[in-house]
This record gives sequence, structure tokens and C-alpha cells, in this order.
Amino acid sequence: MLLDLQKVSKHFRGLIAVDEFDMNVDTGELVGLIGPNGAGKSTVFNLITGVWPVTKGKIIFDGEDITDKKPHEVAELGVGRTFQLNPLFSDFTVLENVVASFHLRPKSSVLSALLNTTTYRKHEASIKEQAMEILKLLGLDKVKDEMGKHLPHGHRLVLGIARALAVKPKLLLLDEPTRGMSLEEIDLALGAIERVCQQGVTIVLVEHNMEVIDFCDRVVVMSFGRKIAEGSIDQVRKNEEVIKAYLGDTNAA
Amino acid sequence: MISSGKMVKPSIWAGLLIILLLLPLFVKSPYLIHIINLTFIYILVTVSFRAILTSGQLPLAHAGFMGIGAYVSAIAAKWLGLTPWLSIPLGALVAMGVGILIGYPFARLRAVYYAMISLFFGMLIVSAVKAFARWTGGAAGLTAIPPLLGFSKVPYYYFFLGLTTVALLILYRLESSRPGLNWKAIAQSHMVAASVGINEARYRIIASAIGCLFAGIAGATYAHYNTVIGTSSFSFMATIMLLIYVVVGGVGNFAGPIVGVFLLMTVPELLRGLREYVPYISAAIVLLVVYLMPKGVTGLVKSLISWLAELWKKRRANNAS
Repeated sequence: MLLDLQKVSKHFRGLIAVDEFDMNVDTGELVGLIGPNGAGKSTVFNLITGVWPVTKGKIIFDGEDITDKKPHEVAELGVGRTFQLNPLFSDFTVLENVVASFHLRPKSSVLSALLNTTTYRKHEASIKEQAMEILKLLGLDKVKDEMGKHLPHGHRLVLGIARALAVKPKLLLLDEPTRGMSLEEIDLALGAIERVCQQGVTIVLVEHNMEVIDFCDRVVVMSFGRKIAEGSIDQVRKNEEVIKAYLGDTNAA
Repeated sequence: MISSGKMVKPSIWAGLLIILLLLPLFVKSPYLIHIINLTFIYILVTVSFRAILTSGQLPLAHAGFMGIGAYVSAIAAKWLGLTPWLSIPLGALVAMGVGILIGYPFARLRAVYYAMISLFFGMLIVSAVKAFARWTGGAAGLTAIPPLLGFSKVPYYYFFLGLTTVALLILYRLESSRPGLNWKAIAQSHMVAASVGINEARYRIIASAIGCLFAGIAGATYAHYNTVIGTSSFSFMATIMLLIYVVVGGVGNFAGPIVGVFLLMTVPELLRGLREYVPYISAAIVLLVVYLMPKGVTGLVKSLISWLAELWKKRRANNAS
């Protein structure tokens, strides 16, 4: 098991955003995390990556307890992620965005950078090459010199994925990778996700777009911070509670 | 073509350095040399100020760190009899040490909260100097500080030329390599930076440490050059002047602070006859730059060059067809 959330809770003062939430992800899986708005899906991502401290429960990643780890430490262990809003460094070019995201590999000291040693230069040159490979994989190589802030919306989100790949993640968390995209842009994003999957990266994604969810091996459904269903898409679709969560209680009407 | 273009920049810098090396042969006025020496010191402080700024922190205590370097070095030399050659590194290291120490708690604060806490810390430095008047001379200032290279201006000219050149090379190298990339990444989005494994606190403290080290060096050398120091050089207003130099020169450009110091410190100093009007002229320059050149003077020059290059390309294309 690659990721294991054990009865994870997050309370914001009085509000219970995530309530004893369990979820496991196996290596190589593509898991969809779905649910109505405000169900706590993005919060789960922020708990896994250490953006917010966990109130109760435990998070195990790759055999290691990461419950109390800081965001940069979680990244170091091999969890990459994207963000819904502000997904990138907007004052960097596309290539710089990915190059800057290669911070972890190889580890370079301030001193070696200062002295501009040959090993340092070799490392940086190889990083540039690897960054270009990622951009090619995701179809962004043609816009590599564009500034982040000048990119169209779809490209920005896909660049978010490219950035996350620079961490060489074992697990990739995608927060609404096709949010607000046009049909063409969705194709670009779907192609990108598919190619990342083929590389053997385990993915958990939050999504509302059914076209993307159909890709998933398995979905976990959240509502009001709790897991209400889990299984294949067809199983989940027929689940009473899921229908209730999305459409409201039909009997009450 | 590309290789010749690459050669242009170093040759410009080499030419500039030669001119600067020969300058005292032609400039005989000690007053002018003095202004140039001050310019070197302020370029050093302002560039180190900008280094911290690139990491997304507004260090409103920066002139205060110059003060730490100045007072520690001056006190060690004047009261403890240390040679300035040792007291200057001591002052610089103390400034860096304090920068690192406050860096840890301050790294939890961002944006305006960081600016506020550093502002208060800067005020604290000035108050401390006034409180320990027995050692620091208090509000009246500290006088008769042992000079580093005697009382003639020209030796200092070469000293500051060498010091500033080396410091600028180091700071430029840092900014254009991995640490600088991390600083800029943190400044743009600390969330995204952390998500790719950049330790925000660590790189912010590194920026502070390096910035404070060079501010300390500048302050300490200033003390043993001027032989008189007072708190006003290290006050909040002094820091605001650094900020203005950077903004006018262009925040986004390494040469920004250099241009800013030259335009707003050196030039007004040279217009001595107009001294009463200097604040108005400076204010007018600042307003003009803020309204007309949001990227500062260097930003304007940059866009001008790329615009001319475009024009040149188009003309050549037209001629060819």
C-alpha cells in the first residue's frame, strides 16, 4: 500500500472539515476523489501534503508516518501535487517553472552554486534536459519560453502537473486538473494525465468532470468530510447515499 | 553571431573596471572621490537589500544591520583596541549572526507581517545604540573611530572598488543560480515552492544571512572610513531610502539598485549648489519612475533595447525581401 489514511480528522475551530476519513491507495492506481462542493476533498490533499496540521488520525506514505511532516518534507519523500488556484510561478517562464521545481534532485549546496563548480553546472544542465523531457511528455515544449502569467488557463493547469512531475513523485495529487477548461484544453490535460499514468505514477485526483472520472480505476466519494462510498464508478453510481449527497434527499421533497 | 554577442557583456564590464581603476588619475578632487566612495558603500548595501527582497521579504531593518556592523566594529576598534582589519569582519559576522537569529522566528511571518516585525527590530537596534551611550556615543554619535587606511581618500577608493566588485560578483552569482531561483520561487508562491520541496524557512534565512552579512560589511567599512557614525544613517528612514533606490532602479534587475543609488544619491550629492531642492528633485524622480516606468529605470532600458532589436530585425527582414 502506497498511501494509507487512518481515521483522519480536521477541525477548523468548530467546523469539522474532514471526519474520521479512511482511504488507501495502492501503487500504480488511479483513484478519483469525488463529492459535492465543500465535501473536504481539497482539505484531504492539504492534510496529506502537510499544508495544514491533522487534528486526529494518521497518514502513512510508503511505510513512513507523514502525519506531522511539513510540505517540503512530504515533497522530498515523493508526493507531488497541483493546486486549483495559482498553480505555478507566474513570473517564471514555462521552462523555468519546471527547472525551479527540480530543487530536490540533485541536491545542490549554496556553496557549489556560488563557486559554479563543474559538477554544479553539469547537474543544472541535466536538470534542464529533464525539464524539457517533461514538457515534451505533456505537450508544453512549444511554449517553453512563455511567461507563466501569459499562459492560457488550460496550459497553466497542465504546467502545474509538469511542475509536480519534477519532484519525481511516487504519488501525484491532482486537484481538479481540468477545472474550468475548454474542450480542447480538457483533451490536452487528459492526454497529459494518461501519459503520466503510463509512466507508472500513482495518481489521486479530485474532479467533477465525468470524462476524467471515467478514467479512474476506483473512486472514493466524500460528503460533509466523511467517506460515504467507495468502489468502481458503476458501483458508486447506484449507491443510495451518493445519489442523496449529490441530489438531496428525494423523499424529503 | 551568438558567441560575439556573449562576448559583448564581459568586455563592457572589463572596460568599465579599467575606467574605474584609472579614475583617481583624472579626478583630483577629494570631495568627488569621497562621493564615489560613499556610492560604492551604498551600492553594496542596496544590492544586499535587494537580495533579501528577491526572497519575498521586505527587510525594513536593513539599515539597522548596517548599523550593527558599524557599531560593533567601531566599538571593538575604539574601546577594545582591535585593529580595524579584524573588527570589520567581526562586525560583519555579528550582523550576519543577528540576521540568522531573528531569521528563525521571523520566517514564520510573511508579507506585511514580516515587514512590520522587521521595522520594529530596526527601531530596536537604534534604541539600543541610544541606550548604551557610554559605548556608542548615543544620540550624539560615535567619534574618533580608528581609520582603516589613514585619512587620504584615494586608498579607500581602491579598497571600496575591490570590495564592492567582489561582493557584487558573489551576489550576482547567487542570484543567477539555484539559491536565487529558490528565492524567487518562494517570493512568487510559498505554497507551490514548498510543494516541490523547497524549504521556505531555510532559503529565507539564507537570504537574510547573506544580505545582513554584506550590510554589516558595508556598515563596518563605512565606520572606519568616515570615522564618525550616528544613528540617523541606520534609522528607518535610511532603510526607506534603500527601498526607494531599488524601486527607482528596478526591483527585477540586478543592476537596479546600482542605477538607483547613482541617480538618487550620487547625482544629488554632486548638485551641491542645489542642496535645498534635492528632496524635491528626488521626490519628482521617484514619482516619475513610479508612474512612467513600473519596472524602474533598468526595466525601461531593457524594454527599449528589445524594442530597438525588434525594429532592427524588421528592417533587415524588409531589406532582404
